[in-house]
Amino acid sequence: MASVTINNVRKSYGELEVLHGVSIDIADGEFVVLVGPSGCGKSTLLRMLAGLEDISGGEIAIGDRVVNGLQPKERDIAMVFQSYALYPHMTVEKNMGFSLKLARAPKEETRDRVAKVAAMLNLSDYLDRYPRQLSGGQRQRVAMGRAMVRNPEVFLFDEPLSNLDAKLRVQMRSEIKQNHHRLKTTTVYVTHDQIEAMTMADKIVVMHGGIVEQVGSPLDLYDNPANLFVAGFIGSPAMNVIGGKIRGGGFVGEDGTRIALPFAATDFEERNVTLGIRPEHLLLDAKGHAAEIITVEPTGAETQVLLRLAGHEIVGVFRDRILHKPGETLHVSLIPERIQLFDGKSGQRIDFREAA
Amino acid sequence: MQKQSTGYLFVLPALMVLGMLIAYPVAYTGLLSVTDNAGNYVGLDNFRRVLSARATPTAFWNTLWWVFGSIVLQVVLGVLTAILLNQNFRGRAIVRSVTLVPWVVPGIVAATTWAWMLHTEFGIINYMLTAPALIDEPVGWLTNGRTVMPVMIAINIWKMFPFVAIMVLAGLQAISDDLYEAARIDGASFWEEVLYVMLPQVRTVIVAVTLLLVIWALNHITIIYAITRGGPANRTLITPIQIFRTAFESVQFGQAAALSVMFFAVAIVVVFIYIRTLASNPEETR
Repeated sequence: MASVTINNVRKSYGELEVLHGVSIDIADGEFVVLVGPSGCGKSTLLRMLAGLEDISGGEIAIGDRVVNGLQPKERDIAMVFQSYALYPHMTVEKNMGFSLKLARAPKEETRDRVAKVAAMLNLSDYLDRYPRQLSGGQRQRVAMGRAMVRNPEVFLFDEPLSNLDAKLRVQMRSEIKQNHHRLKTTTVYVTHDQIEAMTMADKIVVMHGGIVEQVGSPLDLYDNPANLFVAGFIGSPAMNVIGGKIRGGGFVGEDGTRIALPFAATDFEERNVTLGIRPEHLLLDAKGHAAEIITVEPTGAETQVLLRLAGHEIVGVFRDRILHKPGETLHVSLIPERIQLFDGKSGQRIDFREAA
Repeated sequence: MQKQSTGYLFVLPALMVLGMLIAYPVAYTGLLSVTDNAGNYVGLDNFRRVLSARATPTAFWNTLWWVFGSIVLQVVLGVLTAILLNQNFRGRAIVRSVTLVPWVVPGIVAATTWAWMLHTEFGIINYMLTAPALIDEPVGWLTNGRTVMPVMIAINIWKMFPFVAIMVLAGLQAISDDLYEAARIDGASFWEEVLYVMLPQVRTVIVAVTLLLVIWALNHITIIYAITRGGPANRTLITPIQIFRTAFESVQFGQAAALSVMFFAVAIVVVFIYIRTLASNPEETR
């Protein structure tokens, strides 16, 4: 096990720079998820960590060792690919033992280690099968097993669950998590799925356009997003945003709707801001704002309602059963303490509570 | 039953064409092998005569040597070339095209050009070897009994290895990059990647190509006939050329047919054994 230090790392393809100086500190044994939309550079960063891509600038260290110039095999890492990349002509046992074979490990030892990991992953009955004879979930486990057999310093996962169906994805998510609890190996996990990030990570790194937008624990990112991008990316359904101005210490929407803030934000008078509120922080309130119902989506435990408020479409999630029909009016209020304000131009969060 | 007979009706036109082009000549060769030039039935006389000819065992061993020598080096050289052409380097597209040249040149043109280049007195090869004094005196490449067959095999390898390279390259390009990357992370060196990732993935291609090469080497005429006609002193006489010469130079169609029948049987056995042993791996059937 080892820590990983990524220091001001850049990546360019010719003239085009895709990573603009990324720095992340990963502690020993930590489960870190790199999350972001496609094209944000998260996979590129992971591949640079693995040694599959050159590092154009900056430094990557595993433990105390700078690995910039090292080949993948010298880095003591193991990687699970999105496609699993199992060797089709090798049995499960050979696939899992391949790295040990290349390392010229004694046959006995290889067999023992493969058997141990296979037992851990419920693969013992499949050791003689070929990859194409396995289901998607089993292949996924073989790919993980191949990584685990080596007992590396760092596990790298590149969207490992994308090729599985929804149910299996949930199951494998918890298996990966359990394995991490058992092995305590430092893990870097790339995904575009914020639910995977939220449920698995000790620490989430949100990336966008080749930079790190925010680093933090899942709930920290959820409660205190640094900017509009993180606010919109983390959480499902996404945080609602309403454009407007600060006037008289309160928020005034573009259409003139006034929304109360927990403190008088007088320091920001006349500033263009975006108000953010999570769907579950809308309350049914007969004295609240009148909002037009666009759709009602009952999921059983809760009801998701798409509303038009202050000229914006916003989503509310309520524990109550909403029996209204589209077109009718629902009265809602926003929990003032849960309101976030973002700068209208930069999208950065305004810490108006401290200022007030 | 109704359905089955309808099926036969549909394949009938194709079967008729195949029958005329393949079954008839094969059957007619069988008939020729037991008749003399006048068309009289002579039993196994033709077989007896052909088997007792001194050239026949010579041609048989020459053929083995020719086929084996050509195939091994064609496949090895072709696969190595494919692996090279599968790497990223500047000018790869040009090198790929140039590699194909020997395969594109018509056989008779290549043979004649090589015959000139290998000429003992005026050939460029002896010139290049004697001018810088690499060898003392010119080698009679095509007249020396010890060099002539290796030279023929070398020309055949030169002619056919691009074919192997292109086929194997196509197979290599179908391998997902992920597999190479997985192998690199698992700690494979370049040659371990070749051994454990590339070759197993293109095994079926190599098997198919080798089979084609064996068949082509077995019925080969052009290069050898154009350069040496089987000489000197039958040193490059392989069975197909013996058949060709018996039929069209000695006008002994019956004996040529008898030799063909035997050669056909041997070739079938060789191909059959090859397919049984190498082409099938029941555990891995897809």
